[in-house]
Amino acid sequence: MGGEFEGVPRPRRMPRARGGQALVEFAVVLPLFLFCLIGALDAGLWAVQTSAEVSAVEQAAMVASSAGGSPTSQIAPDARAVTASISGRLRTALFGTTIKSWCATNASGDCAPDAIQRCPSTPAEVQGADGPRVVVVCVSEADPPACTTPPPGHVTPYPPGCEDSPMITVRVVGFVASFVPPGFGPGAAGFELPTNISATTHTLRFAP
Amino acid sequence: MRRRRRRGDDAQAVLETALVIPILLLLVCNFIAVMVQVTVQEQLNAATALAAQSRFQAPENAIDPSGTRCCGERGAALATSGLPTGCRYAAETFYGTMTTDTGLLHWQGAPLCTSGGDSGNAANAPAQPVAYAGSPPNAEVSCDIGAITPGGIVVPGYLDRSLNPPSGLDVVTCTAVASLDFANTPLAWGVFWTPTLRAHAEALPPPFRQ
Repeated sequence: MGGEFEGVPRPRRMPRARGGQALVEFAVVLPLFLFCLIGALDAGLWAVQTSAEVSAVEQAAMVASSAGGSPTSQIAPDARAVTASISGRLRTALFGTTIKSWCATNASGDCAPDAIQRCPSTPAEVQGADGPRVVVVCVSEADPPACTTPPPGHVTPYPPGCEDSPMITVRVVGFVASFVPPGFGPGAAGFELPTNISATTHTLRFAP
Repeated sequence: MRRRRRRGDDAQAVLETALVIPILLLLVCNFIAVMVQVTVQEQLNAATALAAQSRFQAPENAIDPSGTRCCGERGAALATSGLPTGCRYAAETFYGTMTTDTGLLHWQGAPLCTSGGDSGNAANAPAQPVAYAGSPPNAEVSCDIGAITPGGIVVPGYLDRSLNPPSGLDVVTCTAVASLDFANTPLAWGVFWTPTLRAHAEALPPPFRQ
């Protein structure tokens, strides 16, 4: 049969120049192909992770807004309790990422009142405190200003909004695991992407 | 002869690459754009759902006094004086939750809060929803209050304050509409569509509401 197989001529040897050309083509195409493949994979992973975070913070906001003992409570719900209520949902999607609660503790080990709490504003702040591929769940409460006697010409309640119920914000912030190699993404450590998702709602108000 | 064939092969390879690379990048760009659309839609759904629930978390007859504004930086232009406090709660919740990816969105403004007012009588014909006087006309979220009949039909703008109303329960319906524009992103190179995102959420009053 010689150099033929079922009628198809088979080259016995590729010329050296053509082998080199194939190698160059392969070297050019491979990074591009990997870039596209990793980009598509990472976009899909990022979408799944972000969707899980959005639904988790929505659920957490409802949990946190109804967790207080009183609608006029000045203390935000314990971030660890809120984290526990959504950690199962987050862990399913955020594989390779550590999930923590963000709370400053008092002498008895409980989360300190929200006057002391301050949620991290950027993912980099979380990375500086907890390392790479860590997201934290932070719960904060914004209380309305105290009502005072209105100055002449103003109506009660004064100042406006002083009788509002507090607002609860739940934030998931940090860096999630991804396929982005070191030096290509915004994360300092590589293989991570920043995330900063929050949900806000007023606390529930019940009749006494 | 051999030399000419090789030059032709080279040209063919270059042509193939020139065709395949843009198509490949186009596919990746559009895949990423779809993923962005999914996540922004999720966020819009969450913000709208929380806004609808917040509408009921204000005292029932509370009205915002004069000089009340809401919603921090983006909604600072929303004056809510004279509106039910629940309208401001809904807006504050929406703006507070919809914080990321907002640079990609072009909002379709709508009145912040509408209602046909209280009927108090099931025999009255349901009123069409109208904007409250002074309601901001170009809010990014719009909430109607109405009634849901035992058959599950929402009648916007109709409100019956009687106990166990025959017309059904109060219901708040919030909607938000925005188009997603990639023009100012690197994806604009290969994404030529501008999807419209719509979020719609309904909420019933919680038990023992004040």
